Amino acid sequence: MRFAMRLYRALARAFPHEFKMIYGADLVQLGEDIVQDIAKEHGVSGLFRLVADLAIRVPIEYLSEMRRDLIYAVRSLAKSRGFAAVGIVSLGLGMGVAAVGVSESLNLILRDTPGARDADKLVMVPSVSYPYVERYRDQHDLFAGAAAFQASVPYNVSLGDRAGTKAERVFGHLVSPEYFSVLGVTPARGRVFSPDADKPGSAPVVFISDRFWREHMNSDPFAVGRTMRVNGQTAAIVGIGPKDFLGVMPVIPADIFVPTTAPASEAPELAGDVIHQREAKSFIALLRLGPGVTLKSAEAGLDTITRHLDEETLDPARHAKGRRVMLLPGGKILPIPRALYPMMFGFMVLLNGLIIAIVCMNLANMQLARATARRREVAIRLSVGASRFRLIRQLLTESVLLAVTGGAAGIVFAFWVASAFHKMKLPFGFPVNFDLTPDWRVMVVVFAIALAAGIGFGLAPALAATKTDLASTLKEGLAGQTLGHRRFGMRNLLMVGQVAGSLALLLIAGFMVLGFQKTNQIEIAFDPSTMYLLSLDPVRDGYSAEKATSLFDHLAEQFQRAPGVRQVALGQFAPFGPQGAVFTLTAPAGGGAPDQVVSGIAKNTVGPNYFAALSAPILDGREFDIRDQRMEVSKDRVLPVVINQTAARAFFGVGEPVGRRILDAAKSYEVIGVVKDLSAPLSQTAPGQGVNAVPVVYLPLTKADFAHPPANGMVVMVRFDRGVDVMEGVRKELAAIDPNLAVFDVHTLAGQVADTLAYLHLSEYSYVGIGAFGLVLAAIGLAGVTAYSVARRRKEIGIRMALGARGGQVLRLVMRESGSLVIAGSVLGLMAAVVLSRLMAAFSSLLGPAFQAGARDPRLLIGAPLLLAALAMLACYVPARRSTQVDPLRALREE
Amino acid sequence: MPKAEDFLPLKTNWFHILLSLAAGEQHGYGIMQEVSERSGGKIRLWPATLYGSIKRLITAGLIEESDERPAPELDDARRRYYRLTRLGKRVLDAETGRLEELVRIVQVKRAMESAR
Repeated sequence: MRFAMRLYRALARAFPHEFKMIYGADLVQLGEDIVQDIAKEHGVSGLFRLVADLAIRVPIEYLSEMRRDLIYAVRSLAKSRGFAAVGIVSLGLGMGVAAVGVSESLNLILRDTPGARDADKLVMVPSVSYPYVERYRDQHDLFAGAAAFQASVPYNVSLGDRAGTKAERVFGHLVSPEYFSVLGVTPARGRVFSPDADKPGSAPVVFISDRFWREHMNSDPFAVGRTMRVNGQTAAIVGIGPKDFLGVMPVIPADIFVPTTAPASEAPELAGDVIHQREAKSFIALLRLGPGVTLKSAEAGLDTITRHLDEETLDPARHAKGRRVMLLPGGKILPIPRALYPMMFGFMVLLNGLIIAIVCMNLANMQLARATARRREVAIRLSVGASRFRLIRQLLTESVLLAVTGGAAGIVFAFWVASAFHKMKLPFGFPVNFDLTPDWRVMVVVFAIALAAGIGFGLAPALAATKTDLASTLKEGLAGQTLGHRRFGMRNLLMVGQVAGSLALLLIAGFMVLGFQKTNQIEIAFDPSTMYLLSLDPVRDGYSAEKATSLFDHLAEQFQRAPGVRQVALGQFAPFGPQGAVFTLTAPAGGGAPDQVVSGIAKNTVGPNYFAALSAPILDGREFDIRDQRMEVSKDRVLPVVINQTAARAFFGVGEPVGRRILDAAKSYEVIGVVKDLSAPLSQTAPGQGVNAVPVVYLPLTKADFAHPPANGMVVMVRFDRGVDVMEGVRKELAAIDPNLAVFDVHTLAGQVADTLAYLHLSEYSYVGIGAFGLVLAAIGLAGVTAYSVARRRKEIGIRMALGARGGQVLRLVMRESGSLVIAGSVLGLMAAVVLSRLMAAFSSLLGPAFQAGARDPRLLIGAPLLLAALAMLACYVPARRSTQVDPLRALREE
Repeated sequence: MPKAEDFLPLKTNWFHILLSLAAGEQHGYGIMQEVSERSGGKIRLWPATLYGSIKRLITAGLIEESDERPAPELDDARRRYYRLTRLGKRVLDAETGRLEELVRIVQVKRAMESAR
């Protein structure tokens, strides 16, 4: 009984303060009064119930107190709507942006390929030939399996058995039969490919993804065993992949899998017997490490083998020094070299850490200002008997509520950004499926940071506010604070940090935007809505190389017959697209002078009349004509090339380019013309290369190109008279040639440009948004600090004005304090921005030129700090002006 | 001013507490004893439940703390006394009426059944 009573008292003490204050004594008294009776009447079970009753009520009372706190917090936040809105929106935006950014790189680094077994055992070697992979497979001590594949291969697919059904273009992989067993994929239905079942010469088969099965076959339960037409050949569906399986690198998703045992008619990539060509490095090796084999040892072993193979093959690069092979992690959604992980992740964390830091500093500042403003309210409540603990709890509830709402808003915002980005069409010619879906780990961290910020930045001011000396606060005397202000006070440091962070953010965002604009303008000499781009891929519609060549030979003539058509030209890629400037070519100087070696060159293959159709002026020589397209190409034949102005300058300086030779490792070219530079947005340029000036070498389209069209097919450009809908006529002409020919990707050049720019604009807008966001935060913070300082120095100002100071003098006094903070912050921010942008430029070949272009822009280097300073001074001025309205009599009377 | 009907049907604990206060001021222990006696020991308001309910009844405005003390020989100065508010009285009446109505319905039904 005595033990029960001890427990009873302990529990009675555990009730919330408010409850204890009123009922605590009665509760204990009552327990003591009745415990004897209870024991007599009910025995142990009665005592147990007596204690249990208390134990149950304690949490109930706490919950009801919390509910009251929460209701109070909601009301109090609703009363200061501006404060709440700014807090929630800034936290939400900041956390959301950061979550998306970090999630993206985290997804690339951490997410395993869906559908693969033991994904961390998978590695890839890019650009190898098929026979090499077969030799790799023999290294049983290193690898448990090896497969070869080609990624993002287009297939013209039709589901009807009849030859007449229109085909649709679907992207997939061309895989060796071991592909699925190396990956460890279990099919949802049917079987996967295997070396035993799929041999050269066996009937054509195809494996499809779950997504294809759902979206194109209506989840047909009898799909396995049915046939479909792949590139014009009938193939049987042998299996369906597991859910979410989209090939080994789902960032570039694959829906159709065709084995390398297929005939070249089904997979034109296999033409020319590439399976047995050691030089044809068009495959990616997918390897599964043997048990206990590390990436390092596999790489070393593979290097030795590859070196031997290169010797045997007489590979031209066999004497090159250094590593021959670099293994990429194969089980992730995109193979990215492991060495890049820290950089990728570090960069993201750095940038987003900056955003979060600014948001947190701002929150801290706002909370401090608010707590100061509420000193009086707090003091009054303390003096009427509210406990300090209770008040702190209440203030804390408020800031936690703010933080949690902000964090939740951030998560919602992150998902919104991810879905908005998902709808974007990226200008790559094949589908790209970036996964921006916020990672749950990132979400947890974001929420935790928001919560920690809420507690931390709520607790400190709450403690300070409740510790005040009641009497002096109530008198509003704030004695002693007129003596001066702490120069390195918390608030001032926060303020300098915030100004610096915002300026750095603004500048970096500005560098990006200006740089993007400078490097990615698309200049077109005519109205881009008067050109259609359409794609054809007759080889994948079942045409032989000869038939395809003859089709393209006459296509231009044929299309010209459609009413309204002015010019028709062919190209391997759509014009004004990104250029991969990765080639190195040499111009022999002759006469003993050193050869001119130019790297970072883009190659482009175009047909006759290409530049005329684009209204691009030929500055010298001529462009390709139909004779170039029809010529016979052999190994030693010198190919005619057209080069752009930048390339001409790089190779020949001021010399005459036409008639000169250019060489690469295998071939010799003769320059027949020079064309004006065409815009090439989003191009990957070599470091140090000027922006928007990629040297381009244009090769002529020939028979060989018609036999091996690139993934996007062959692009036909149809320029037409304004106001005529020419597509109907063109389709009619095409139907007259062959009604079954699949036409795809039909859009105007204007649409193409819009797609490309939409991608750029999205990044621009987001950077502008981030920059503006930082600016607004800084302004709010400054306004808060100044208002606080004016409130604090009210009495001092009153005395000064009573002694004859004028409004302007007082204003200057207040502004000087904020002004020095702004200047200190600006200097720090400027330095940080320069350092950070240098770092970022060094990391990224796409951002590098953008930064170079942007960072030199005086508009930005001078304009941004000025803009920030102007806004900052305005933010200070508004609350500072209040100081001039201080009525000296009232300020002094409050003493 | 909230309407009495808003509180119906009344929680059993609340009804018993209000009922115990109908006669006049009472302290927690007294309420507890009265409830226990009235129900022949079947219903017991355990201390924390009792004070939790009292707190909510005060918040709802059905009872209040009383300054008036009963006759000095009965007074226990250490304890808080409670009494019904006007709203509390009306709520108690309304609940009593509701229960009476229920009983009446049951009785009519029984009478009809035995008549059949």
